[in-house]
Formats: sequence, structure tokens, C-alpha cells
Amino acid sequence: MISAQRLTRRFGARAVVDDVSFEVSRSEIVALLGPNGAGKTTTMRMLAGLIAPTSGAIAIDGVALTRATGAALRARIGFLTESPGLWDRLTVRENLGVYAALYGLAQPERAIDRAIEVFQLSSHAPARAAELSKGTRQKVALARALLHEPQVLLLDEPTSGLDPEITRGVRHFLDGRRAAGCAVLVATHNLDEAERLADRVAVLHERLLAIDRPAALRQRLTTGRLIIRVTGDLSRSLGTVRQFDAAAAIEGTALVLRVADAGRQTPAIVAALVAAGAGIVEVRPEMPALEDVYLRLVGDSNRA
Amino acid sequence: MGREMMFMRIRALLAKELLDLSRNRIALVPVGIITILSLLLPFGIAVAIPFLTGQELGGDADLVRVSAVVGGQEHLSPSARVQLFLFQQFLMLFLMTPITGAMALAAHAVVGEKQARTLEPLLATPVTTGELLVAKVLGALLPTLAISLAGLGLYLIGIVAMAAPGVAAAMLSRRTLLLAALIGPASALVSLQAAIIISSRVHDARTAQQFGVLIIIPLAAVLVAQFTGSLWLSATALAMVGLGLVGVWILLALFSVAVFERESILIRWR
Repeated sequence: MISAQRLTRRFGARAVVDDVSFEVSRSEIVALLGPNGAGKTTTMRMLAGLIAPTSGAIAIDGVALTRATGAALRARIGFLTESPGLWDRLTVRENLGVYAALYGLAQPERAIDRAIEVFQLSSHAPARAAELSKGTRQKVALARALLHEPQVLLLDEPTSGLDPEITRGVRHFLDGRRAAGCAVLVATHNLDEAERLADRVAVLHERLLAIDRPAALRQRLTTGRLIIRVTGDLSRSLGTVRQFDAAAAIEGTALVLRVADAGRQTPAIVAALVAAGAGIVEVRPEMPALEDVYLRLVGDSNRA
Repeated sequence: MGREMMFMRIRALLAKELLDLSRNRIALVPVGIITILSLLLPFGIAVAIPFLTGQELGGDADLVRVSAVVGGQEHLSPSARVQLFLFQQFLMLFLMTPITGAMALAAHAVVGEKQARTLEPLLATPVTTGELLVAKVLGALLPTLAISLAGLGLYLIGIVAMAAPGVAAAMLSRRTLLLAALIGPASALVSLQAAIIISSRVHDARTAQQFGVLIIIPLAAVLVAQFTGSLWLSATALAMVGLGLVGVWILLALFSVAVFERESILIRWR
């Protein structure tokens, strides 16, 4: 649905986006993570047809994005910019009305009514944009990006500055768009949001450092440590697990040991502990948070 | 279909411009003030001063001599001929001065959208640069022309009510029609299109307005020439000038599309 192949964008001598390739399929949400200045917004703008890549190719639904196809493809894309960008002296309905006409909607009033309903903006519809709270402005901007029911959504920081309730609403809405077959690319700083929302996470820092499912990314930094909580005598259980790792130790109320292959060895360890009379409360491989993965990837990139 | 969509987008943007302006009427105050002053000035000189001082315009030999350029009005008294000359001369001033007030609107058109951060979502729609700029020019032109034409109505009513006999009828000439229907709108188009170019090239509204002032200089030169009586354009000359202005506007419109760099506006402006 969205295909970016070897995208590079230079400003003068500096490459802001360097040789980035990825795809976003139908019914998929990909989160684009990266520190400030990593090239997220530039990537989004290139995909939205607002700026041209220095090199590389973009295709939307199989159609190459070029100067000739730009206007037609922009009609298929819903782009939420970093700032809501509403006309302050126009009401919410009027703001949406201008965009409904720009997209050439056959039944603009119906589309506006639906957007207002979906984003629960009825009470704000007659209000001028200048009078709205930040969260409501963001909701209007989202409604505007979705007005023409695009199959491709590019959202730059969609929940930035929003309260948890509205954030949850936006997340729920994006789940709905995914279920409706949309390809969604979300640029965000919010790792928690990326993990909750996205099917895959792309870490960008000029170059694409990684792109994978959140769990698979965490797996990359797996420490190989196994955390076991047991009932009964912890010292006795420690003796049991030292058959598997001589350096096993007690950390707090848990046994911690390092294993080469947790998937294969865990059943044997559990069986040994049970045989030794311990009750198993919890067994889990230690997994890093997505934040740790992200910081590691970006840190490595900075050092490179 | 494509043409229909183009008109639909221009209409939508133009409606937005006019709606926005209607809620920011203070932006039209300079245009209104300039129009009122332009309205008062000719009546002050051609009617009020002679009335208050008791000195007839026809008694001033220099004015009578200069007013001869009007030509073909021998049936009018010397004072009426001088009045006709003055009202004709001020007509051009009257039609052009509202443009100076509208310059601020046009100069703010693109840079204002950028600063309000409304330009990026707009450019992400299928709207083309040409459509956007046409809507921006019309958005500044139409209110200006509306004010200008309303003022013109008052100007002619004032002449009917206050000028010497025969002056009002003499004013209803091909020359007046050309000034009102061609020179005025064409001058406005050229000036506003130039202001839009400036607005899409500078980085902030203040700079846009400072450059916009430069566009007023040629207008001021025309006005000075008018006051000194050294510039009198016949109907034919006005028609030529009007067509020339339309040509200049077409070139400026094409140029404005060519120099409107979407990327540069989004990337470099802060």
C-alpha cells in the first residue's frame, strides 16, 4: 500500500533521510520512532507528496508518486501534520467544509456530519477553531485527515499533547481504520503508544535502524536471563537451578539465572524445581522494554 | 471533470478567504479609510474650496489652460470644464488608491498561511499551486473591487448632486467606463499578483508588507503626474494601457506559479 524504496533526502550536503526502505501493507499500522531531527517528519512529507526525495522511489497502492501523479495520489492520502493547522476564524464545520470541497466529495455535508459524529465534535461544530482546546483542535485535524476516507493514513504525532482519554479514543479509532483495511504510518515519540498501537515499529535515525514487530525488536536485546519465582525455601531452589547455571543468584524474591536457550531449557529447569519440592509462581525470560531497545539502537547509531 | 474539480477547489478556497476576511473586518479598515479620503479630496478641491473662498475654478488661468486637455467640452463653462478635468483626474486616483489598502491583505496571503501553520495541510490536498494562487488573488481583489465600485457609485452620485451643470453628463464617457471597468481592476490585479509573489517568497509578514510598499511607488508616480496635469490619457491610450496591464498580469500570474516553491516554503520557513 505504501512503499518507500531507498529514500534519501538531502538538504545541502546533509542527508536528513538516508537510504530508507520500508512498506506498510493494508490493515497494518507501522509506528515510525526516532529522536528529534531523525527525519520522521521529512519522511512523512515525502510520502505525502509535499517534498520530493533526492533519490529513491515512493509508491502508493502501486502507483509511483511523481510530480505528474502527486495531486491524484494526495487525494488518496490522509495526512495529519505535526500542527493541527486550522483556520482560527472559521468554525469546526467550516474548516471541514473547505477540505470536503478540496477533496471533491460528492456529499460533503454527509461526510462532515459523519466526521463530527465519529470524533464526538457535535458540541464544538459551531465553535471557531480559535476557541478550541489543544485536544479538540487535534481531533478536528484528525477528522479533517479522515474526511475523504483515505486508504492511506500518514499521522505525525497524532496524540501529542492529548489527555489519556482522548489518546485512547484516537488509538481506538486507528484500530478501526486498520480493521477497515487502511495502511497507517504513525510518527511518534511515544514508545508506549507505538507498542500498544503498531503492528510493526520502524526506528529511524537518518537511516532505518530497525523495523519489526515490537516483541521481535525486544527479543533482539534479550539478555538470556530467566526470572523464576517460587514458593518454599529460596536457598534450596537456588541449589537446584545452579545445576543449569553455576552463577545463578537470588535477586529480591526471585531466582535469576542465565541460560543459552530459554525455550529449550525452561521445561527442564521447572521440572527440576518441582521435583525438589518448590512451587512455581512465575517463570519468564527477562525482556527489555521497547524503550531500552530504542535507546540502544539510537545510541549505537550515534556512536557509529 | 478535471476542470469542474479545479473550479470547485478555487471556489472553496475563495469562499474561505472571503469568510475569513468577513470575520476580520478590521483588515478592511485601511481600504475603507483610503476610499473615503479619496472620495473627499476631489469634492474638497473641485466643490468645497471654490464655494468657501468664493473663487470660481474658471477664474484660475492655469487650471483653465490645463483643463483644455479634456477636449470636446466647449459647451461647458470654464469652471465646469475645470471641474470635469479634476473629477476625471481624481477618478484614476480614486480607482487605484483602494489597491494600496488591499496590498496588506495580499502580502499576508501566503506567508500568513505559513505562519498560522495552515499551509502544510492545505498543500497535502489535491489543490494545485495555480488554484491556490488564483483563490488568493481573488480573495484580495474582490473585496477591494467591491469597495472601489461602491465608492465609484458615491463618487458619481456626488458629482450629479454637487458639480456644475453638464459635468455629470460629461463624466459618463468611454474614458470613465474604461477607467472603472478596465484600468481599475487591471491595476488591482497586477498589484495584488505582485504582492502574492512577494508573499510566497519572503519568510514573514512584516517583510512582505515592506516589499508591498514598493509596489505602491508606480501608483504614486501616476498620481503625482495627475496632480501636475502632465499626464492625461485619452480613451484610446487608456484602452492600450489597460490591455498592457492585463498582459502584465498574465505574465505575473504565470511567474507566481513558477516561483511558488512548495518545498522551500515548507522546509525553510519557520
